[in-house]
Amino acid sequence: MKYILRILVFSILLTPFKGSAQDKKKLIKFGGDMGVWYEGYGLDKDPNSSLPNFYPARKPWNLLRYSFNPNLTVGKWNIPFNFNFTAMQNNFTTSPTGKKQSIWQYLTNPVNNFGISPKIGTTELLLGTQNLQYSDLSTGDLGIFGYGVNLAPGKFRIKLFNGVSQRPVDYLTAVQFPPNGITGAYQRNQWMAQLGMEKEEKYFAGFNFVKSSDHRNSVNTAPLPPIEPQENMVVSFLAKVNTSDGWKYHIELGQSFFTRNLNTALSTTIVPDFKPFVKAHTSSNKDNAVMLGVAKKGSDWEIGAKFNYYGAGYYTAGYPFMQNDKSEYLVNTRFNAFKKKMNIVASLGQRFGNLSKIAGPSVTKQIIANVNVFTQFSDHFTLTTSFNNYGFNASSISGYKSVSNELTVNPSYTWTTPKINHLLSGTYTFSKYDETILLPPLTTTHNNTKTALILYVPTFLEKKISPDFSLMWFNNKATPIELTLLSATAGMNWKPKEKINIKGQLQYSLSTIKPYTANKNLLATTGFDWELYKKLTWQFSFTANIYHYGTELPGSSLSPPITGFPNYFETTVRTGLQYRF
Amino acid sequence: MKPYIMMLMGLVLAIQSVTAQITINLALSNRPQPWLSDWANPVNGQLIISYMPQVVGDPNVKLRTTLFDESGAIIGSSNTSSARVYRLKDGVNLFSAADAIQLQNLKLLGKAQALLQRTGRLSAGLYQLTVEALNTAGDVVRARQTKSFTITAYQLPFLTSPANEANLDAHIAQSTIIFRWTSLVPSSTELPIYRVQVFEILPNQTPMQAFRGNRPLLDEQATRGTTQYIWRPNLAMLDSTANKKFIWTVQTIDREGKPIQGLDATAQGRSTPAVFTIIRNEAVKRPELN
Repeated sequence: MKYILRILVFSILLTPFKGSAQDKKKLIKFGGDMGVWYEGYGLDKDPNSSLPNFYPARKPWNLLRYSFNPNLTVGKWNIPFNFNFTAMQNNFTTSPTGKKQSIWQYLTNPVNNFGISPKIGTTELLLGTQNLQYSDLSTGDLGIFGYGVNLAPGKFRIKLFNGVSQRPVDYLTAVQFPPNGITGAYQRNQWMAQLGMEKEEKYFAGFNFVKSSDHRNSVNTAPLPPIEPQENMVVSFLAKVNTSDGWKYHIELGQSFFTRNLNTALSTTIVPDFKPFVKAHTSSNKDNAVMLGVAKKGSDWEIGAKFNYYGAGYYTAGYPFMQNDKSEYLVNTRFNAFKKKMNIVASLGQRFGNLSKIAGPSVTKQIIANVNVFTQFSDHFTLTTSFNNYGFNASSISGYKSVSNELTVNPSYTWTTPKINHLLSGTYTFSKYDETILLPPLTTTHNNTKTALILYVPTFLEKKISPDFSLMWFNNKATPIELTLLSATAGMNWKPKEKINIKGQLQYSLSTIKPYTANKNLLATTGFDWELYKKLTWQFSFTANIYHYGTELPGSSLSPPITGFPNYFETTVRTGLQYRF
Repeated sequence: MKPYIMMLMGLVLAIQSVTAQITINLALSNRPQPWLSDWANPVNGQLIISYMPQVVGDPNVKLRTTLFDESGAIIGSSNTSSARVYRLKDGVNLFSAADAIQLQNLKLLGKAQALLQRTGRLSAGLYQLTVEALNTAGDVVRARQTKSFTITAYQLPFLTSPANEANLDAHIAQSTIIFRWTSLVPSSTELPIYRVQVFEILPNQTPMQAFRGNRPLLDEQATRGTTQYIWRPNLAMLDSTANKKFIWTVQTIDREGKPIQGLDATAQGRSTPAVFTIIRNEAVKRPELN
């Protein structure tokens, strides 16, 4: 709660500036949008309860979200709001509370945004939830609830922020919250600063300082190992330069000082203290990361290259999902040819993992290459061709390798009759994916996939109906399993009035795993987009999904057994009202 | 008997009588956790020192730790002079594996020290740990035991397809999407479990907000040992109100059902997520490494 008090104090301290600004200019403007969005989900199964659960619910039964994003201009002040929130709690990768959220847990729940960013001249206040990304190697892109300021006097850039990036959650046992309990989490406090110099569109150079620390007393019952209170400090130098002749340069050098467990003993045996920010523990380590990039843009082409290195101990709490211990390079290009009738996009990259040999005696190698060629042969006929290659090799006695090659061809033909514009498009993809486990006995799995799609879209020039039809065939062979999917889709948009668009779609699919009979699926959607008033729009859609299993899942395999085959009926209602100021 | 022989025999007997008071049992896990700072966790084993007081017994001891690599070469040892003095109680004295490794007092050599400073870990491989109980002066070994252990650590899978920021054709994606990723390294005979998790990015949400706050639309286990999952979404992706952006990841779980640990335990064995977008009637773009 102290953060809320600090935010209020911070706002009050800056009130005099606000007053003087209003005296000069009292013009008030209000823009932006607000809305409410609802999704209802339903699932009926036959048999309704059976083991194994052949189809679990995949969405919450009800989901309601509100958005309030006005932009208020008062004199010289510009005050954007970013309020997007829900009363519900569906956290999965971050710990749910297992009980009613406290106000603090609600405000700091990553699913909610309550942010205001008043700005006057070169001063910007940051209050509430903010998504701040100072740089790739420092802050990441997590939402943080707190307070801060961005200052830009002349060429100087000063950014400061203090907040919470992870809410506190008490650990609960399986008895307290069946069936698996609540993992729990420490509150993670984050301090951030950027000091630099910038000339818009020309250059930026500066240092980023980010410290995050888990608050050990933030929970009544601490999470169990391996979740321990952590601390992290990152310092990075970032420089970006754009030259007048089209060159772009990017460099960032970062060092992280990471303590894996604040409960371990203070010790400078392994790494020294990082004074004055962090004291070293026996679980502390420090490592480096580098990002380099260069690009050149011409009138009809561009080319770029980048190189990234993340040491095995490099860590930023601003982006806890980043995988390290790797280096990678990527070269990409894009250019036009044949009087802009042909557009080519290509890239080639390679990634080396396990550089520190922590996970085995050899470095892993991954290659990714792709080329995409779009050719306009005439006003009527275009062809898009793409080829992708992925390869991964962990060549050691306990290794693994995989190779994927994928070719896609997509011709499109359009023609016009007096009343109709026609589009006929086809897509064919062949994908070959081979995996080899380098453990005796060597086993290689060949996984071949073919996909074909035909799409026909007639556009009636004198009618308010625009239908589309498609047929798709998909086949995946990974011996001994062969999956074939066949689906036919018809869609339609109808605009009976200027402000309303009624839409519908029907799809019938057969899904077959040899030697079983096909599963049958009917997907039907209907809805409308309606501009109720000049600034108010209403969207509505209802989807029904009927699925009948074939012999792939006989009713006799369920407990209790049933005659025939199971099926389910799934419905989704989505509706949203949006008002633009 | 000459006096120096008598003195030598007396010294041997004296040492025997002293060493006979203390025995060490290093009950170390065969595969302790790769982060040495985690060794306080009981799953890594225990150091048991039994003390039987005798007439001339001294209950005070220091521990000396020596670490050997697979070839038997010393790669680190503790500093005896700065080692903590333990006063043993009569009978059984229990210590953690962290007390045995003495991380706050351990000096590794060369590459091992550099790696420990950078990562807090030893590289994968076979090691031997010797723990000795010394007198407080540090010049007499009163008991010793050596145990072998293996460090195993993993590199989590990288997501390959759909690549980060890929665009997928809605006409195909609403019926099927193929997810692929690289294998857990090193692979083992105990095949890991891969759970594919897909989250909808709802209106006005950032990808990371959806990832951290939403319930997954798909949370399914791939066929064990394969690095591919074919999802049959049956979602109305062609509809204008449908969400067009998704974020996905793979959670890697060991045979005991526990997530494979990365640097941050709160990530629960999840690989760096990737975002993909559903588009209509446009060529599918395959962007860069995610």
